[in-house]
Amino acid sequence: MADALTFHAFEIDGVEKVGNDDVLDVKVTPNRGHDALSHRGIAKELSAILKLPLANDPFAVRPLLAPVTTDVSVELSSKLCKRYIAGYIKGVKVGPSPEWLKTRLEAVGQRSINNVVDATNFVMFNIGQPLHAFDAGKLGSLKIGVRAAKDGEVMVALDKKSYTLNGSMLVITAADAPVGIAGVKGGMPAAINETTKDIVIESANFNGVSVRKTAQALKLRTDASTRFEQVLSPEVAAHGMQAVAALIVELAGGELAGFVDVYPELQKPMFANVTVEKINTVLGTALTGADIADTFARLGFAYKEEVGVFEVQAPFERLDISIPEDLIEEVARITGYDKIPSTPLDEARGKPPVNPNFYAAEKAREELVAKGYSEVYTSVFADKGERMVLNKVDSVRPYLRDSLLPGLADALAKNKVNKDLLGLKEVKLFEVGTVWKGGKELVTLGMIGEKEAAKEIPLKPVVADKYEALPLSTATRFEPFSKYPYIVRDIAMWVPSTTNEQQVQQTIKEGAGELAHKVMLFDRFEKAGKTSLAYRIIFQSFDRTLTEGEVNQSMANLSAILVDKGFEIR
Amino acid sequence: MGSIHPISSLIREANQIFLQMGFTFVSGPLLESEHYNFDVLNVPKDHPARDMQDTFYIKDTPEYVLRTHTSPVQVRYMEKQIKKGVQPPYRVIVPGKAFRNEATDMTHEVEFTQIEGLVVGEDISLANLKGTLEIFFRSLFKGAQVEIRFRPSFFPFVEPGVEVDMRLVGDGVPEKLKDKWMEMMGAGMVHPSVLKNAGVDPKKYQGFAFGMGLDRLAMLKWGIDDVRYMHSADLRFINQF
Repeated sequence: MADALTFHAFEIDGVEKVGNDDVLDVKVTPNRGHDALSHRGIAKELSAILKLPLANDPFAVRPLLAPVTTDVSVELSSKLCKRYIAGYIKGVKVGPSPEWLKTRLEAVGQRSINNVVDATNFVMFNIGQPLHAFDAGKLGSLKIGVRAAKDGEVMVALDKKSYTLNGSMLVITAADAPVGIAGVKGGMPAAINETTKDIVIESANFNGVSVRKTAQALKLRTDASTRFEQVLSPEVAAHGMQAVAALIVELAGGELAGFVDVYPELQKPMFANVTVEKINTVLGTALTGADIADTFARLGFAYKEEVGVFEVQAPFERLDISIPEDLIEEVARITGYDKIPSTPLDEARGKPPVNPNFYAAEKAREELVAKGYSEVYTSVFADKGERMVLNKVDSVRPYLRDSLLPGLADALAKNKVNKDLLGLKEVKLFEVGTVWKGGKELVTLGMIGEKEAAKEIPLKPVVADKYEALPLSTATRFEPFSKYPYIVRDIAMWVPSTTNEQQVQQTIKEGAGELAHKVMLFDRFEKAGKTSLAYRIIFQSFDRTLTEGEVNQSMANLSAILVDKGFEIR
Repeated sequence: MGSIHPISSLIREANQIFLQMGFTFVSGPLLESEHYNFDVLNVPKDHPARDMQDTFYIKDTPEYVLRTHTSPVQVRYMEKQIKKGVQPPYRVIVPGKAFRNEATDMTHEVEFTQIEGLVVGEDISLANLKGTLEIFFRSLFKGAQVEIRFRPSFFPFVEPGVEVDMRLVGDGVPEKLKDKWMEMMGAGMVHPSVLKNAGVDPKKYQGFAFGMGLDRLAMLKWGIDDVRYMHSADLRFINQF
């Protein structure tokens, strides 16, 4: 199942064993939040991918919200609510949920609360429609409303915290008093508990952007708000209501008094057209009309095919389908991206022009590297500059740099201490980077060295008709280096001219012990049949800071070994 | 001799490979308008990606951001061509810096380098994307056998959108990389709205685009274990390349 989803629908974040079951953690892409943030949505995907019909599709039959009740009224005063269905059930018995329900909710990380609340959560996870149950007795009125909150209006939510609302937020009201933050969370005063007898269930459709902004402003992201944020079809609300009313009556008894459905503007059917030819030119495939028809059939898309043109009507919950390319994607992923061949591009017409800025940068790199400079990248963020970043996480270096030089100076200081380790006589650095200066964004070349004044010049474009074949890095693997400080010791000795000097270096490397990180010959001369060799040894550990004492000990051991070989330490 | 930065070497190499396939090297500004960074790329005004926590905004410069990807250059380039009266075919690569306002760790940096690719023509297909990337990776990994696979994904500026995985098989592949599927980039067919926003007729032309993280590619190529070395300016790192 994980593979089927990974290669045809969504990434799988993990598969976790819970009891005797496996829980798939599916990373639903933002374009599919409309329909796939539910078990039904994922089952539908698997059904299309694996060519297995759904045994029982909750969306297959149009729900009948009957009977209608006049005990409850609903008034919408905001266009941000596209549909509001209230369901009224009298005489429920609130109590613990049956084991099967507890187990299922716990498997997806939910805590069982009571049979009524659990039923609303179960249906939400099952078909993706957020639901809420109010204690009708505590509402104070069965006149339900949806309106913008008043600035400064306060509501205590089910988490027992009090939230201060504003006019950009939407609230559910009973006799104009707020009883819920629309699409986010219900209110504490009308919470369901053991004393609850009559309930009003809400299955509604709220504007995605409004819910997202409200949840964000209140720092209250809930399972309901994450679903509404993705924009849901108002059609799903009816399925949600029918399913939850039936489940509550089954689990908690009571009598269904009826429904009120306010749905001012019906969702329009979604049509898109695509040709077989277009699909094949976009994908680079040779699919037939029959292959394509098969995809649409598996997805439950209604379609008509005439002379290579498919007219497709997407199911109401698939709000992502609107243009031919959307259909092409459906065909590609259901047929399988592995069916897409690998086709190189045709031979290019003409020669691509040389980019004068890149050419200039490359030329500068080559010249400077030849002179012993190394290229660094430093941060564009700086302590000062002409432009300030509004929202730097750490508030450290909040400006965009107006010069490369401060960054280069820092880099020079940092690298100077490693000179011996790097085997350099002098540290010389350069950077080709962007700065913001004089109201403009420009690329400059900065250079710095220990023995020279730092310099920064604008990088002038160089016109050329072809790129030079410049050398690439020949490195194969990066060697990790120790982050601990190192200690340097020099040792010089006389050896007979006949001595194998490579052997000497090897002897030193071994004799200095495992703390010797690097051994370099730095001076050599001959006199009267003898050779003077001077070595620099760098001691460094990968896991600690070395002490002078232990390095002195290593040097003493080394001296003894060299004397033993008959060399004369100078 | 000094060393060039490993990312510079990688950009140099990428340019050499893509040049052979007829791609032009182009660049664009790092401080970018929301118009190019988001609007023309089909990212809705209220999209979560625009939130303050992901994007660096600039004081006293409303509607400008540090670009969050190299994709704005797609539209900048196409617009410029259309203005000059040059219709597709287009083939461009855009290596450059991009920024995300997030916490840094071994695999995340606020400043990173991407390479964007864009090919537009009358019959450019998703199969061409596969073919092009295969050639790129085969050249980059010196003749290793390369397999490319697509997984469905979503980016507002492509449709269909895919995640691209790559695998190196056969002899001469470093043991650590051998036979392992690695996630390399997001890609797809340029969304018709993006073409339209750039002034290219989506009824006549279509194309593919990809955006690949070069830091990650360098890390894979050379076995670098921490992305933060890239901006460390530490010669113990740089002089190895």
